[in-house]
Amino acid sequence: MLKKDLNLRSPIEKIIGIDNITNSNFGAVLSRAGVGKTRFLVQIALTQLLNDQKIVHVSLEDSMGKINLRYNEGYTNLVDSIGYVDPQKAVRLWDDINLNKVGISYNEASFDTTKIKDYLKSFTKAQLPMPAIMIIDGLNFDEEITDVLEDLKSINQEFSISIWFAMRTHRDEALSKEGYPVQLETRNELFDKALFLQPVDNKIQAIVLKDGNKTNQEYLLEPATMMLADQDI
Amino acid sequence: MIRDLKRVRNIGISAHIDSGKTTLTERVLFYTDRIYKINEVRGKDGTGAVMDSMDLERERGITIASAATYCEWKKHNINIIDTPGHVDFTVEVERSLRVLDGVVLILCSVSGVQSQSITVDQQMKRYEVPCIAFVNKCDRSGANPAKVARQLKDKLGHNSVLLQLPIGLEDKHEGVIDLVAMKAYYFEGEHGEKVTVKEIPENRIEEARAAREEMIDAASLFSDELTDAILEEADITDDMIKTAVRTGVLARQITPVFLGSAYKNKAVQPLLDAVIDYLPSPLDINNEAIDLDNNEESVVLESSFDKPTVALAFKLEDGQYGQLTYLRVYQGCIAKGDTLINSRDGKKVKAGRLIRMHASQMEEVEEIPAGHIGAMFGIDCASGDTFVSPSINYSMLAMHVMEPVISLSIVPRDNKAQINMSKALNRFTKEDPTFKTYVDHETGDTIIQGMGELHLEVYVERMKREYQAEVTTGKPRVAYRETITQKAVFNYTHKKQTGGAGQFGRVAGFVEPCDEEFEFVNKITGGRIPTQYIPACEKGFLACMHKGPKLEFPVTGIRITIDDGAYHAVDSSEMAFQAAARGAFLEAYGKARPVIKEPIMKVVIETPNEFQGSCMGLINQRRGIIQGSQEEGVMSVIESQVPLSEMFGFSTILRSATQGKAQFTMEFSSYKQVPQSIAEEIIKQKQEEKKA
Repeated sequence: MLKKDLNLRSPIEKIIGIDNITNSNFGAVLSRAGVGKTRFLVQIALTQLLNDQKIVHVSLEDSMGKINLRYNEGYTNLVDSIGYVDPQKAVRLWDDINLNKVGISYNEASFDTTKIKDYLKSFTKAQLPMPAIMIIDGLNFDEEITDVLEDLKSINQEFSISIWFAMRTHRDEALSKEGYPVQLETRNELFDKALFLQPVDNKIQAIVLKDGNKTNQEYLLEPATMMLADQDI
Repeated sequence: MIRDLKRVRNIGISAHIDSGKTTLTERVLFYTDRIYKINEVRGKDGTGAVMDSMDLERERGITIASAATYCEWKKHNINIIDTPGHVDFTVEVERSLRVLDGVVLILCSVSGVQSQSITVDQQMKRYEVPCIAFVNKCDRSGANPAKVARQLKDKLGHNSVLLQLPIGLEDKHEGVIDLVAMKAYYFEGEHGEKVTVKEIPENRIEEARAAREEMIDAASLFSDELTDAILEEADITDDMIKTAVRTGVLARQITPVFLGSAYKNKAVQPLLDAVIDYLPSPLDINNEAIDLDNNEESVVLESSFDKPTVALAFKLEDGQYGQLTYLRVYQGCIAKGDTLINSRDGKKVKAGRLIRMHASQMEEVEEIPAGHIGAMFGIDCASGDTFVSPSINYSMLAMHVMEPVISLSIVPRDNKAQINMSKALNRFTKEDPTFKTYVDHETGDTIIQGMGELHLEVYVERMKREYQAEVTTGKPRVAYRETITQKAVFNYTHKKQTGGAGQFGRVAGFVEPCDEEFEFVNKITGGRIPTQYIPACEKGFLACMHKGPKLEFPVTGIRITIDDGAYHAVDSSEMAFQAAARGAFLEAYGKARPVIKEPIMKVVIETPNEFQGSCMGLINQRRGIIQGSQEEGVMSVIESQVPLSEMFGFSTILRSATQGKAQFTMEFSSYKQVPQSIAEEIIKQKQEEKKA
């Protein structure tokens, strides 16, 4: 019950749609540094955890401890957004769903997709359910990473795992005529979903850049929690 | 023994396996003139290090039991407890930490903070032991002490501050720069015994100044005097810095980091200075006991020699003169001939020969005053017992002891082995609270229980070597448990009339899951069951907990509430209500959806990066749950939770999957419900065993 309530409250339900997350092959959350890409991706992952799915969070920036901290924080924000929840129930649920989360921290220089592939293969080998989504945070889209993305595309196809990326943009770079930052514009065809976050006054504006008929929709988020700004508790 | 407690240090040396703590201890003993020759671990010269007093330890190059020793350095008396590094022996580490005032945490400058360091650190936190860090093996290829200091901060949350800089690393490691004195220390002579103090090399001065500034900045948080001196740009004396750092260490707010290479005899002497300068004396530590005559109120112990004695037995050993009991005296003084009371069983004992130890050699002493560690002969007690003067009834707080998770049947080869085995088991169970033994009445086998495969393996080996008890071991068995998952009611009448006095008792109520091992709630009103029969009901239920009706595993996590019942004025008896309780338990248990629980272990693998994916795969194939993985330089650390039953023989599998380059540690985490398919297998196996 609590799982359902939390997912209904999640900003992801409104902005992307929870069932819609795993429909994508490649998704991206774009923003400049410090706006909240990772926190938004954590909210995406939490919806899957609350659906009893496994998720893999790969970070090339954060340590394992920090990844865990981000999920703790994301979950707390989500719980707080629905008003009073029995703290014991909330903790028990977290203990339960947290087991389905795997945080992997790689050094950027030694990041190698074969390690991810080896890991995912073991799910098939042991006949275990495959993780529903994989978050990749910290990949530098300013560099030439065609090979890495191609490998990840093949992982996405082979294991039917939806992959969501954090894509860092820069404020001094002009947008394309579709409104895409250059990091997305050059790889546009790879991504079927994309979302742009930017600070507007004291809120974060989430603009759907790419997602079928949801494209161009806009939402406002609370910067401290990444919850929808206009939701009543 | 020194009575000025300001000049006493009780320290431990804790670290990951193979990070060099026994080597370091050996050097310390050499420089403090306790030994006259340095022996290396693993017995390259056929002798083995002095601190590894058991043959087995020498052979395996690991330190199994804590060997205690003392030494003197610059008119200070230092008692050292060498602690084991393997997770399977953490009870030894925990016992040591209980009696220590400070710890030197050794880290390897190549592999840095490893999983065991995290376990040891958690234990230090539990017992609030202040520590300083020593980054060892700076002579090794890939040494990076600055990285290790950072890891101390990031992984263990220590406020680590470098108090030294290395002069050269790897094969060029020559000495250290002391950032307090701003001098360079070099170590010459065959065993580095000659310390030469020189000026800091020109090309390192800038770096040293910057590091000193950083260090002073961190230390200033603990001293107003130092802060004022910084603000007023006055002279900063060595004493000001040392006092500030010491205050921070005692409050566990700062961890000064020292560097060197014990193996190459570099910078051990400055570490000894640091032990004196920064680690607490017994006077700096607040020790508490509980007053058993006063509602177990906690009482603060004073390191005063005139107060009634309070001492904790933290380790037992079998010596040629009988049991040797290692003690830490917290208050008062134990002198030869003193009468002491063991507060656990109230037995009176007389202090006989008192000694202080130097690994396997001993020195007789007249007394062991408060604040000191010593040993006593001729007393029969268990590890963890408290000895007090007859005028008080205190107990030191109980040590945190975990339940064993693995068992093994052992069968003695012959009659002689049988006798020796009993002697050995009697000793081991007294020495180690996590090692247990019992006789399985059905099979007649002796079962030993412990915290891991290696733990039991070492005891079997010790039986053979120290007691000449040759035993054959069975397959290791997992300590499964049973529990219930839902509430179920019972209403059972025990009625028997077989001539003479009959038996009658009725109990009604319900069972439900709970977090405690066992809880009994009495809600009987109106005397439906007379008060004198309630304990018999509890006893009856409790008897059922030892062997669950489902698979005969111990039952845990159950609350039993009785709220109704009936009795007969003539036929009711304690025995009848015990039988009624047993019947009621059986009646409710089946309805309460019983399940099997298995021990889940926290498994941490450290592997070269290229094998990370396959190691994670190994965990997946073992019903394991990966909690996370972290790359650290060329190595990856994978944290996971895996059922113990899936971990047998894992070391061989891991070795073959990683060309022998990965290692893992394992410790008990929790009990979790066994998946249905596995439960069915266990049931089948159990049934086959019964048939056999």
